[in-house]
Amino acid sequence: MAKTTTITFFLVAILALNSNAMAQDQAKKTDEHDHHDHSGHTMSQDKHDHSGHSMSQESGSAVDHAGEHGGTTEEDHGHDHDIDHSAHDTQATEHGDMHHHHHMDHDHMMDHEGTMIMGQNLDKLPSSCKSISEEVEITVRAGRKYSKNFPGTAFAFDKQQWNVKPCAKVTFHFINEDSIRHQFMMHGLPKYLYKYGMFHLEVTGPKTVSGTIIVPGTDDTFLVHCDISHHMEKGMKAQLVVGKGGEDIPSIPGLTPYNLTDRYEAENLPKASDKSSNKAEKNLISMEMTEFSSLNLKNYGMMLMGILIGLLSIPLFKKISFRKKSD
Amino acid sequence: MPSHFFIVLLTLCMTLSATIAQAVSKLPETIKVDPSALTAEPMCDPKISPAWREAQEIEGVKIAASPGCNPDNPAWIAAAVKGTNNISMDTLMKTGLSPDAIIKTDDLDGDGDPDRIVIKLEIMELNGRSPDFPGIIPTFDIAPGIQPGAWVFAPKTSGMSTENFESVRANPLLRLPSPVIRVEVGDIVQIVLENTHYFPHSIHLHGVDHPFSHGEHGGQDGVPQTSEVELMPGERRVYQFQARQSGTMFYHCHVQTHTHLAMGLAGMIIVEENKPNNWLQTLNIGGGHVRHPSVAVREQFDQEYDLHYHAMDKELSEIIQKYNDPRLIAREMNQRYDITDSTEDYFTLNGLSFPYTLRESLIIVEPDQKVKLRLLNSGGELIAVHTHGHHATITHYDGVEHNPMAQIMRDVFDMAPAQRIDLKLETVNDGKHSYGEGDWLIHDHREKGITTNGMAEGGSMSSIVYKSYLGEHGMPKVSHFGIDLSEYFTKEFYERRYPIWQDLDEWASLGSPAGQIGFDAGTQTSLLNALYGLLIGLFLYLIFAKREYIKQCATAMASRLKGPKGGNQ
Repeated sequence: MAKTTTITFFLVAILALNSNAMAQDQAKKTDEHDHHDHSGHTMSQDKHDHSGHSMSQESGSAVDHAGEHGGTTEEDHGHDHDIDHSAHDTQATEHGDMHHHHHMDHDHMMDHEGTMIMGQNLDKLPSSCKSISEEVEITVRAGRKYSKNFPGTAFAFDKQQWNVKPCAKVTFHFINEDSIRHQFMMHGLPKYLYKYGMFHLEVTGPKTVSGTIIVPGTDDTFLVHCDISHHMEKGMKAQLVVGKGGEDIPSIPGLTPYNLTDRYEAENLPKASDKSSNKAEKNLISMEMTEFSSLNLKNYGMMLMGILIGLLSIPLFKKISFRKKSD
Repeated sequence: MPSHFFIVLLTLCMTLSATIAQAVSKLPETIKVDPSALTAEPMCDPKISPAWREAQEIEGVKIAASPGCNPDNPAWIAAAVKGTNNISMDTLMKTGLSPDAIIKTDDLDGDGDPDRIVIKLEIMELNGRSPDFPGIIPTFDIAPGIQPGAWVFAPKTSGMSTENFESVRANPLLRLPSPVIRVEVGDIVQIVLENTHYFPHSIHLHGVDHPFSHGEHGGQDGVPQTSEVELMPGERRVYQFQARQSGTMFYHCHVQTHTHLAMGLAGMIIVEENKPNNWLQTLNIGGGHVRHPSVAVREQFDQEYDLHYHAMDKELSEIIQKYNDPRLIAREMNQRYDITDSTEDYFTLNGLSFPYTLRESLIIVEPDQKVKLRLLNSGGELIAVHTHGHHATITHYDGVEHNPMAQIMRDVFDMAPAQRIDLKLETVNDGKHSYGEGDWLIHDHREKGITTNGMAEGGSMSSIVYKSYLGEHGMPKVSHFGIDLSEYFTKEFYERRYPIWQDLDEWASLGSPAGQIGFDAGTQTSLLNALYGLLIGLFLYLIFAKREYIKQCATAMASRLKGPKGGNQ
């Protein structure tokens, strides 16, 4: 009995090994490709390649950084300017233009460029709060460039989650860094304080808009998104966590799982290693070789398994023959 | 015992085979679909206030009556004529437009109308996939239950993309087709494209007099291979021009044009003649009736209609409903979709297919009127628009006036892709211009043009309706002929689940047959075979069970046979 169990274990192990070998096949092939590539290159080329790669990557990112820096410094200037401007503007419009011309009601303010503050709450305490627990300022940046960290998205906020204490008075400075409209739209707030349960900032960038709310006194999680067609679907989604928070909002990039995911399949994309015909031929040979060896491995494995099965079944045969004899 | 059992089984088999044989001689009954089982929509959307149909004046803008079911929101027209910068907050809030959507300033030539026009366009997706739930968002129906994935240029809006937070239906400004743009000869026009979409795009001003390159704004022919790089998501680009010639023209995205145009990034742009006090309706959202026509058009015509014919491929429009990841959508559209293997499935007039065309693309006329029709074909194939009951005169091809002496009258108007024609429709009852009053069809005479994904009646079909034939809620009056159009306002009709001829007579002679009562021929034979098999099996069992008896019988027989023989011996 013990014997058979050990043998079966052994068999299973062999099988696993074999399948592993098969599975590794693909990986090995690509590995060998790479190997081959590198060996195919002369050292200097190889080096060059590497350095080129790293260089380009580094320089790429460096450039990006520089660009960003440059951009942001410029933009920052711009922003500062814009912020100042918009601050002045909003103040000016709030107390002047906006009040007479563009002010709809206390809940809804909009200037001549469509910069909008909706559902702002500076002083009304939620029923679950006795007093304001803390005053917080949160800067939210929005733009295409923040989607860089999340492959498969097109727009994003700079952060995907903000945490505040229950009953906190929160002022959001919403900086739109793109040249189009974006929104900071929050849902699920108590409707007796916020029309439709919404707090909404909207601005065409590059520009800033600020608005304040007082969050409820209970632990909860609120959806924050941009409602422009497919901005949320394509990444511009986040959550505001009050206290310990409630249930997570789904499909926030890098934070919570998607409810529905697309099907991905690897594509047969051209690789730099396939470029020269010479290399391609060598690759073919190497491929054949690896295929041959892996094929042999598979064959040997199967053969070994066959022998083992044979050995294992010897006692059975014996038993059968014995029985026949005894019969 | 077994012999009894055997007999019972045998009779059962007999009766069964008899009933099977009987079923073949009678065909299944007709089953009529109960109208209450259909998801009926009101023919005219009750959400729209009837007050919108009336002639009115808002912000000093005269807006003509538009008696159809779904007329344009009068506030839209006021905003389009005055500019969103020149109207009250109250009117602006009724439009849903951004306060900087249409900016009109500076009467440069001192003729009483603004000459600097800034039009801001965004790009919106309709009926696209969501990663959050297995539906599509924001939805836009071109016909009952028909929601093809689409992209449109949309006037710059404010607020949400849907009607409200609970709804998935698109805000009324986000719709097919891309809006009709009207500018004047000599206006300094800036079309500002704010790319709110996740793909690169551009604008090509087909037929509009525009410089290839602008000093400030760079190349502006919209072509990534000749004049400019693709406008990436989140970016803005200005297309500036000062047109010297008037005419009905065309604008569309020129990035991956073979897919982006069919997806809906195409609209009419009309350059009107320069006239004094010519406050134009800069945008005609949804096309159709122009409720504030230009001075030149008002001088020569009683009415004006913009008719934008378009076609979409189901397989193409489904891509954005299959995937959410922009990389996958790009791969499917750019590398895998093959337009040379494609067929067009949805045919629309002003973004909608029949029966929705009856709601907002009717050409509503009175006798002895002159009506200007501007037609654009933005589909991928030639179309042949036919006017029942009328011959109309072609006055312009591609925005250029045809020699007045050589202008011809036709009742079929063939239009190549991207082609525009201007028609003069005269409702003079002389047997040529018009055969008299009625509810006369206007449709693409390639017969697939009157189908929606192959289901008739659908497609870009609409009507030229005389006011005397216009019924309640601005829908054509047809009930006096015993015609009921309500079946078209159900999604089951376009799902091909409604037998369209079932109500033509009392007993639904062309209704849907029920499933077969008995069995079909295949199962019948196999069932009979099984029965025979059972019988043979039972017979064999009987032999086996009575083998001793049979043996005895056999031996008895044998002995009897042998007996006399042996006796003989």
